[in-house]
Amino acid sequence: MTTKRRDELLVGLLLITAIALALGGTIWIARGGLSSGYPLYARFPWGVGVKPGQPVMLAGVQVGFVDHVDLIPDGTLGIAMRVQDRYRVPAGTTATVEANGIFGDMLVALRPVQGITGTIPPGDTVPAGTASPGMAVLLGKGDSIASNVTALTAELRTKFVDDGGMRDVRRAIGDVTKLLAQLSAVTAEQSKQLTATQQQLRKTLSSVDSAAVDSTIASLQAATREFAALAKELQTTNSKVQGVVDKVANGPGTAGRFMNDPAVYARVDTLLARLDSLVIDLQKNPRKYINLKIF
Amino acid sequence: MPLTASVRLASRRIRGILTAVGKRGYFARDIARGVRDPATWMPETIRQMRTIGVDSIPLTVIVAGFLGGVTAFQTRYQLFPGVQLSVVGLIARQSIVLELGPLLTGLVLTGRVGARMTAEIGTMRVTEQIDALETLSFDPVAYLALPRFLAGIVMLPALTILANATAILSAWATLVLATDVRTDDFVSGLRLAFTAFQVVYSLIKAFCFGAAIAFVCSYEGYVTEAGAEGVGRSTALAVVIASVSILVLDAIVAAVFAPFIQA
Repeated sequence: MTTKRRDELLVGLLLITAIALALGGTIWIARGGLSSGYPLYARFPWGVGVKPGQPVMLAGVQVGFVDHVDLIPDGTLGIAMRVQDRYRVPAGTTATVEANGIFGDMLVALRPVQGITGTIPPGDTVPAGTASPGMAVLLGKGDSIASNVTALTAELRTKFVDDGGMRDVRRAIGDVTKLLAQLSAVTAEQSKQLTATQQQLRKTLSSVDSAAVDSTIASLQAATREFAALAKELQTTNSKVQGVVDKVANGPGTAGRFMNDPAVYARVDTLLARLDSLVIDLQKNPRKYINLKIF
Repeated sequence: MPLTASVRLASRRIRGILTAVGKRGYFARDIARGVRDPATWMPETIRQMRTIGVDSIPLTVIVAGFLGGVTAFQTRYQLFPGVQLSVVGLIARQSIVLELGPLLTGLVLTGRVGARMTAEIGTMRVTEQIDALETLSFDPVAYLALPRFLAGIVMLPALTILANATAILSAWATLVLATDVRTDDFVSGLRLAFTAFQVVYSLIKAFCFGAAIAFVCSYEGYVTEAGAEGVGRSTALAVVIASVSILVLDAIVAAVFAPFIQA
């Protein structure tokens, strides 16, 4: 190979390598890959800060980038996204714009929903979701909290310092301290008396004959057992008596009739009256009834 | 009187500056005119591209390799606690692509390529070879300066791309092997707030630097006088002027194009 040919070859190789590196590297850094992917669209209100080249994340994984942004007169931005071919966005996914780091860059976050089958077809529009509060909103909240705290502090100052509230609080604290001291003294006295009572009780308990206590307890236990037996016998007797009573009250016998039938009573009463008259007559005229002959 | 002497000195200096600018303007005109004769400059251009571009690859790769590694390493250990590690990738990319890649490549090649250009042409001047070319009806500017100029403006962007890629690769390797930054962190920082114009910006700088090196060094060699000593003086002067020109152009390009870096 001549020198001229070699020079041309090497120069051409260097130029092609440089061009390939420039184009390939730019595409790889900007798009996160060299394949073109498929398009998806979304709409967001003006002011979200989305720019071409910003990443598109699906459940935290970068799956593509923002291809271009169209300004629509109705107050929305039409975002065209490029998603890599190997990723499919599940149906039901919503899109939000969120902050990416602390340097003001944004990203499009695709949030899938569990439990829905199917995927969003290429060329379809992903519905917009509700974004989590960004740094601006949080700072606004912080400002509002700070201004509330300032107002509260001013009010507290007015009430406690200017109107003498702090003085009253100090006075109240002094009174409470005195009360606590008094309560302490009372508690100490009560404690002393309780200790004396406990000592007396211990003395009393120690003078109790434990053997006598044991025998008393044994006697009590025996008595309890006899009471239990007696109660059982009473129960049995009671049930028998109840049976007799039931028979007398409800049974067909003489006692039942005597208890429940007034005619029986009347006849018994008549019988008793006749017996009385018979006894009287017997006493008056014994020979009428008793005629005793011996031979 | 002192005032008159100062005024005379000042006017002499201003006249000297204007004369120098005028001479360089004529040289630029001759280079532009030389484009009409491709038979003269085309064969030499490929050779110069080989000399300026291909033969400078090892030096470019070595410089870029160390550049990327040191930049990333120092950036990592200047981060405040709590700052996300992907910032290292972001800063490394911005530093290398927007500034250090084209600038250091240009400065390094000023010494290697620019000095060689000035010495070659200066030697040809003092040995009257340029006069011989004129005698033979060759346009010396078209034969000597234009090929170098074209090679400079084509090869320096190519070398800058190579330097940027090498430096970023070196940054990644250094961070992953020597620090707690992981590949995911580095790549996410690399992609953060990236626009294609940042690469174009780097190439614009490289183009301007290549043109400055080739033009300044070719001119200084073309106007060399007084033998070997003159060649040495021209070479040193060419390197200094080219280096300063690179720094001035760096500032001008930044002032003009930096607002367009972030879309």
